Amino acid sequence: MDQLKDKNRNMDKEQRRQTVTYTVWGGLVIAAVLLLTTVWVSGSARTGTDQAVERVSEFYLDELAGRRAQVVSEELKNYTGYMEHALEILEDADLESQETLRRFLGKVETLYDVDKFAMVDENGIVYSENSTVSGLSRYSFLSEELTEPVISTLNLYGAKKQVLLATPVEDISFQGVRIKACFIQLNIARMLSSLTLQTSGSETYYNLYYRNGESLTEDNFGYLTAGNNLLLALKDAKMENESDYDRFADDFLSGRRGQISFTYEEMKEGLCYIPVEGTNWMLTILIRNNVISEQISSISSGMMSRGIIQIFITVFSMLVVFLILIHQSRKNAMILLEQEKEDGNRIRAAYAQIEREQTAMENIQAAMGSGLWSMEFNERAEMISCTWSEVFRNMLGYTEEEDFPNRLESWSDLLHEDDRERVMKEYWGTIKDYSGKKTYNVEYRLLTKNAGWRWFHAAGRLSRREDGSPVTFVGLFMDIDDEKKLEERLERQKIDLEDALAAAQHANRAKTTFLNNMSHDIRTPMNAIIGFTSLAAAHMDNQEQVQDYLGKIATSSNHLLSLINDVLDMSRIESGKVKIEEKETSLPEIMHDLKTIVQADITSRQLEFYIDTADVVNEHVMCDRLRLNQVLLNLLSNAMKFTKPGGIVGVRILQKGTAFEGYASYEFQVKDTGIGMSQEFLEHVFEPFERERTSTVSGIQGTGLGMAITKNIVDMMDGTITVTSEIGKGTTFTVALKFRTCSGPVRQEIIPQLQGLRALVADDDFNTCSSVTKMLSTIGMRPDWTTSGKEAVLRAQLADEQDDEYAAYIIDWLMPDMNGIEVVRRIRSIVGEEKTIIILTAYDWSDIEEEAREAGVTAFCSKPIFLSELRKILESPFTASDEEKNVPEDNACFEGKKILLVEDNELNQEITVEILQEAGFVVDVADDGTVAVEKMQHAKPGQFDLILMDIQMPILNGYEATKQIRAFDDPDLAGIPILAMTANAFEEDRQEALEAGMNGHVAKPIDVPKLLELLREILK
Amino acid sequence: MIRRKDGAERIKRRSRAFMFVSGMAVFCGCSLWLSGCTNSAEERKPETELESARDIQDGMGLEDTLAVVNFDHELDGYEPLKKEYNFYFTYKMVHPWWDAVALGIEDAAEQYEDAGVTIDYEYLAPESVSAQDQILRLEDAARRNFDVIGVDVADVNVVTPVINRLIEDGQRVMTFSSSDADREDGCRRIAYVGNTHNYEDGAELTEALCGKLGYRGKVAVLVGTRGAPCHEERALGAQDVIAQYRDMEIVETAYDEDSVEKAYEYTQEILEHHRDLSGIICCNMSNPVGAARAVIEAGREEEIVIVGMDHDREALQYLKDGVIYALGVQDCYSIGFNTVQVAVRIADGQLPGEQYPEKTEESTTVIYQNGAAAMLRTLYGELD
Repeated sequence: MDQLKDKNRNMDKEQRRQTVTYTVWGGLVIAAVLLLTTVWVSGSARTGTDQAVERVSEFYLDELAGRRAQVVSEELKNYTGYMEHALEILEDADLESQETLRRFLGKVETLYDVDKFAMVDENGIVYSENSTVSGLSRYSFLSEELTEPVISTLNLYGAKKQVLLATPVEDISFQGVRIKACFIQLNIARMLSSLTLQTSGSETYYNLYYRNGESLTEDNFGYLTAGNNLLLALKDAKMENESDYDRFADDFLSGRRGQISFTYEEMKEGLCYIPVEGTNWMLTILIRNNVISEQISSISSGMMSRGIIQIFITVFSMLVVFLILIHQSRKNAMILLEQEKEDGNRIRAAYAQIEREQTAMENIQAAMGSGLWSMEFNERAEMISCTWSEVFRNMLGYTEEEDFPNRLESWSDLLHEDDRERVMKEYWGTIKDYSGKKTYNVEYRLLTKNAGWRWFHAAGRLSRREDGSPVTFVGLFMDIDDEKKLEERLERQKIDLEDALAAAQHANRAKTTFLNNMSHDIRTPMNAIIGFTSLAAAHMDNQEQVQDYLGKIATSSNHLLSLINDVLDMSRIESGKVKIEEKETSLPEIMHDLKTIVQADITSRQLEFYIDTADVVNEHVMCDRLRLNQVLLNLLSNAMKFTKPGGIVGVRILQKGTAFEGYASYEFQVKDTGIGMSQEFLEHVFEPFERERTSTVSGIQGTGLGMAITKNIVDMMDGTITVTSEIGKGTTFTVALKFRTCSGPVRQEIIPQLQGLRALVADDDFNTCSSVTKMLSTIGMRPDWTTSGKEAVLRAQLADEQDDEYAAYIIDWLMPDMNGIEVVRRIRSIVGEEKTIIILTAYDWSDIEEEAREAGVTAFCSKPIFLSELRKILESPFTASDEEKNVPEDNACFEGKKILLVEDNELNQEITVEILQEAGFVVDVADDGTVAVEKMQHAKPGQFDLILMDIQMPILNGYEATKQIRAFDDPDLAGIPILAMTANAFEEDRQEALEAGMNGHVAKPIDVPKLLELLREILK
Repeated sequence: MIRRKDGAERIKRRSRAFMFVSGMAVFCGCSLWLSGCTNSAEERKPETELESARDIQDGMGLEDTLAVVNFDHELDGYEPLKKEYNFYFTYKMVHPWWDAVALGIEDAAEQYEDAGVTIDYEYLAPESVSAQDQILRLEDAARRNFDVIGVDVADVNVVTPVINRLIEDGQRVMTFSSSDADREDGCRRIAYVGNTHNYEDGAELTEALCGKLGYRGKVAVLVGTRGAPCHEERALGAQDVIAQYRDMEIVETAYDEDSVEKAYEYTQEILEHHRDLSGIICCNMSNPVGAARAVIEAGREEEIVIVGMDHDREALQYLKDGVIYALGVQDCYSIGFNTVQVAVRIADGQLPGEQYPEKTEESTTVIYQNGAAAMLRTLYGELD
């Protein structure tokens, strides 16, 4: 056995020795073969390379020279092209003067970067950017007429070699002289340097020669000195062939390309020459053949040496790589074995870890109340199994699998109707999302077996195949009903809190807005009052100035008062304290009162005013007269405020036939031609404190409450208010109200005496004509109408001629073409004194009454005219006297009348005492109710004629004091007239005063005329 | 065809010649006295050495020729007051000599441009010399508002009154090139740049010719333009020198009006009329070319000594070939260059004085055959 092993070992050793021997010898043989072939190949290659290099060199030289010559030729052509282009862009303006021409030439020089661009006229004058010179002696080409572009050289004084490129010019004259040519002048050295003819550090030389061998440049050419004549120089060179020089000289002089080789100054050189197109120049390239040969020889030797070294390195490298590969493969096999062992151990440990974690996870799920569910899918994403864990079932109230089988429907059928679509979309969306980015995470309600609907949270993940199709869908399911309900409660609370906060903030903002507005609106007139008061105090001695200040103070005070009234009114309306009190009301009275109230304002503002009616059948209705007046006054005062002098303001009342029986519908239209409102503002016009422009900007004062109050009142009266407006054109407010009728319609029957008689209405307002015409028809007359005063006269004339006269004329006072008085005068001259002529006017006619009577006016009638009024006038004999006018009664004489003033405020005392004494009263003052009662107790009958009683006083208020006085035994004392004079200015205050036994109510601040009027009435 | 000088000019020039000859006599006398020689003035072999003109006979290289014409000019450092100038220059006639002056003007303008100052100029002349034409040009220029008007005077008698009138009208007028209208002649021009030694140039060339001829023989004088100060003064210098030598005689004087062709024709006529002619003295640039052509044509280049002025390429070739004996080469480039510099100062309101001279003197160098090749190379890049 041992012998066998020894034998085997010896055989192994022998085999290894033989292998090594064969390897070494094999390597040496390969190396020798490679070496010999390399030497042979190198030798052949060198011979071939020499020949090839020579051929390539010739070819290369020819090619190189050709290209260089082409470059030079192209460059020259470019310059010629530049000249042509320059002539193309030359404009007449450039030829206007020497300056413009020079500027143009300068631009061309800059554009093409040339030394000089010049134009030459037929006298030989050369124009360039900065000079005008005589050029005939300097430029030889000028001596003859050019017919085509020429390229020439100049050898100027100073040996400045220049290239000239000239081209003929046609059809251009400058200052009456024909321009015959233009040219570009280039310094040769500069031109050629830009062509990089000479490369530094090279054994190749370039130069340009004339065909006679003269050099164009100042450059050396190989061993030839700069500027030497090439033809002369090469006479001394040793040519490769004897005839080469002649051929070369002939080629050169004839401008043919060619190559020669020669030895000059013991240097073997090759010369290639080629003509430059368009010139008499020859481009030459000189290359030193010796240098090339030496370099090729050096390269060949180097290549061979490197080849041999390369062979040795290759063989050695192959052996080393082979040995390294064997060693590495053995080493890799050992490593793989070790790795396999390690992987086995690691996998076993991993399995154990997974089992432990799975167990732990199940425990955690059970502890957290999370139910596990899982589903398996095939490659087509179809479900092949569905598993609901026991915990899952228990959470839904099921214990057995039969009650809640492992099917998807067991779960999906229990989904709340509102959640089902969303949840199933999420479920299938997750499964079908092959990108794997989507995760399943939903909350929904499920119907549990015992606890009704409960909220659950489900989340799951999918494991997928490589193509993205689902494999396993595993997830958890948690009961979140308690949390969800808590969340909902919190959300509701949050919303409630937010609402409350918003309401508080809104209220706060409203308060702030109100305070800001009020602050501004109160301070504005207050500022005027205080300021003018100070001024008045400072100028007491100047009565005129003081009166002016006082007037302004009064204006501001009135404004402040109206503001306070509005604010309080608004406040009362909003707090519901204002009640609509319906009473029988005459619409004609309201309208006439309204006209009377605004008349003064209309006049002072220089406005045109109309007020009329249309189709008013029911003139008496049940309504709150005070509030209706307030509405119309608010609208009218707004219209007047926002209409400039010369503008028109009008009120019209129309009865609509749309009301139920017992009711009547009316439209009150208030129109103006004022500044109008923007559409944006119209949306807010009825909101409190809204003004389109501040009073500072518009110059028009107001509280911004009028429209809000108006709207509120109209709302309270179950009416509507609408507005149309256009900036710069005007505004129309329309109030629609429905009232109960209280006395039936106005009498509609015909007036027998007037039946069939003709009447003529003349008014420039069509609506008035229409309305009055209808009324006249109603009472049986045959009305005609016209809007022209002149036409009215003509019609009267015509009727008279036709013997069908008008029985009555109703003429507007103010018509544009003819004054109403004049119309009356002319008609009266036609129809005589018998016919009734009524002047219809919206204005106070007292000023013109006398003139009108003289002109023949029978009666006056105030606009708006109602049927009842017209009827009344026409029913009465035509000669009936005028309406009685309210003649103001004589002022009651207050002299000696005694008044007890009960007032706690000293200032008010002073003011009131002053007013009353001015009016002639004797005034006694009590500063509290108790004092007043005491004074009355001790007074003799007749000691006081009247008591003015403040209401709010510190000890005894006015109501109590009045009650106590009324309770006196002495009827004369107890019956003394008592007037409340108080800042408690509301209607209920007035009522309370009357209920306390007072005879009247005067609101503070005191309106003196009103106070005196009231006193007069009471004392009468 | 051949004309003589008029009397007035002759008297004037004679007085100048007298002064020159007197000076020369004093100089020679002193020299002879110092050397112990007792030769009379008529018998002397003059060794003229004029400060203003250089004479290079002992071989001439490139370095020497660079001194003849100084192309290496740089501006004198004066800072002009303006950024733009507008000059008008007019000269006798269109001719290569003035093209050489033009190069100096061009280079000066370029250097000013590099320094941020623009020099616009007109440099114009008629095709043939005409004092009347020159007057018209000056009057036209005066109407066109140039900063300075420069004139190379065609005829001092005709042009001087015009220059004075322009000066009175507020124009700034200078003279340049080779022909001044001197203040001594009553001209009020502001300054002059150019040759200030024409008389001496003529005298020196004539002296060289006389020496070459052994101070004997008949000579002809070719002058340029009648009335042109430079030409006339050179001719006067020649006459004065010839007058010194008993065996020498001026047989003809002709004005070629700066035309090579006319010079050639006149020379042909002179050669035909004077078979024993020994020399030709040329007073301008065209004379020597025309004269040499005619002499060569007559085959008498070995017999006739030609001296002349200036640097015509053909003339230099004749010098190189030995047909012409000597040429007085003026530094035209410097004339042009310095003319612009002086014009700028005049335009700025400077008057001659410490800043610049009333006459800026430019050199003339007499060259011989041995300097011809170098001169050809320097001026025209021409190689052997």
